[in-house]
Amino acid sequence: MKEITEELVIVNNLGMHARPAATLVQTVLEFESDVTIQKNGREVNAKSIMGLLTLAAAQGSRVTVTCKGPDAEEAMEAVRSLFETGFGE
Amino acid sequence: MDTQNLPVNRKESIPVARLLDRMADELELEVIAGFQGIGRPVLISDINRPGLALGGYLDYFANDRIQILGNTEIHYMEQLSMAELEARLEGIFAFEVPAFLLSRNLRPQPLFLDMCNRRGIPVLLSKTTTDEVISSIILFLADEFSPETVIHATAVDCYGVGCLIVGAPGIGKSETALELVERGHRLVADDVVSLKKQRGESIMAETSPVIEHHMEIRGIGIIDIKSVYGVGRVRNSERIGLVVELEEWNEQAQYDRTGLSESFVNILGVKAPYLLIPVRPGRNIAIIVEVAALNHRLKELGVHPAQELNQRLMNLMNQTNVD
Repeated sequence: MKEITEELVIVNNLGMHARPAATLVQTVLEFESDVTIQKNGREVNAKSIMGLLTLAAAQGSRVTVTCKGPDAEEAMEAVRSLFETGFGE
Repeated sequence: MDTQNLPVNRKESIPVARLLDRMADELELEVIAGFQGIGRPVLISDINRPGLALGGYLDYFANDRIQILGNTEIHYMEQLSMAELEARLEGIFAFEVPAFLLSRNLRPQPLFLDMCNRRGIPVLLSKTTTDEVISSIILFLADEFSPETVIHATAVDCYGVGCLIVGAPGIGKSETALELVERGHRLVADDVVSLKKQRGESIMAETSPVIEHHMEIRGIGIIDIKSVYGVGRVRNSERIGLVVELEEWNEQAQYDRTGLSESFVNILGVKAPYLLIPVRPGRNIAIIVEVAALNHRLKELGVHPAQELNQRLMNLMNQTNVD
């Protein structure tokens, strides 16, 4: 069981609103690994839209992403590329 | 169900400003001195009445608590000479004190206020009685310092029993909650539930202020239960009475068939009754949660159907043996 943790920054203008949250959920659902996102000590499941919304992560927020599972590396790569491209926004 | 590794948030301290902000209305508070120290931290959820410290006895002085000054302390200070008062206060101020809180709109001597102003120790004045101040502050601090966590689950008030529904993503927690709401029960929170230990003995489930009673249903998207079903079908918080875990039906697993033994799960150090419910097409989970909640209420009233049936059976067998 692999576990990877990385700090990522939200770059898109509107922050993590409903649409990027849905994109992120769709992406991580394809992986077997558990993906969690932490911000200011709050941890939520990245496979839950509502969870992601409660983070209220605005542009510039730093979040800690943890992928745990057999495909943790691939999951982290997918999540990182989503963050870097501003969730395609 | 893994409840041991939940990230637990427990505040190390709260600034005096937060107490002022939250309690200003209830206790009719105002700051009369030491305003610059309003950010001072309160580290302990208890109060102290510094009567003995004012009397000069400073051993065991609980200086790290909010110091409550009522009639006794204020009138004691009034009958001291200026020199005595200054010496006693110097003694107290040799310690770190978070704040003073005066009840009954009592006005202390100017010397006391001067010393607090110089040292930046906030002095809060309340118009309410000392016992009201003490009980409200203790409850407020206990609540502020209680451990809390956030869990990926759904909380529903079902026949007055707070049911926390947990299980893997996609198992049908939200759909179960939706059907329970449809059947007249009340949604507390879906997907993201804040759990807070209350008075050391119970766990309160709360909705998050961001998402409130919104719910994500796959295929439809985000809906608002309060708008769709009305305000009567939602609650903002509820005490957890029962934890129900949904899992995909596993042929190898042994599911409880009698209900004679009870399982518990530990959340933030509180024991909560726990049921593991297998999910399979054709099983109506909402009805199962409903009957679990009713059965839980029966047990709380001292009625234990499984044990009673078993007892009746054993009595019958005893009689048969005698004959």
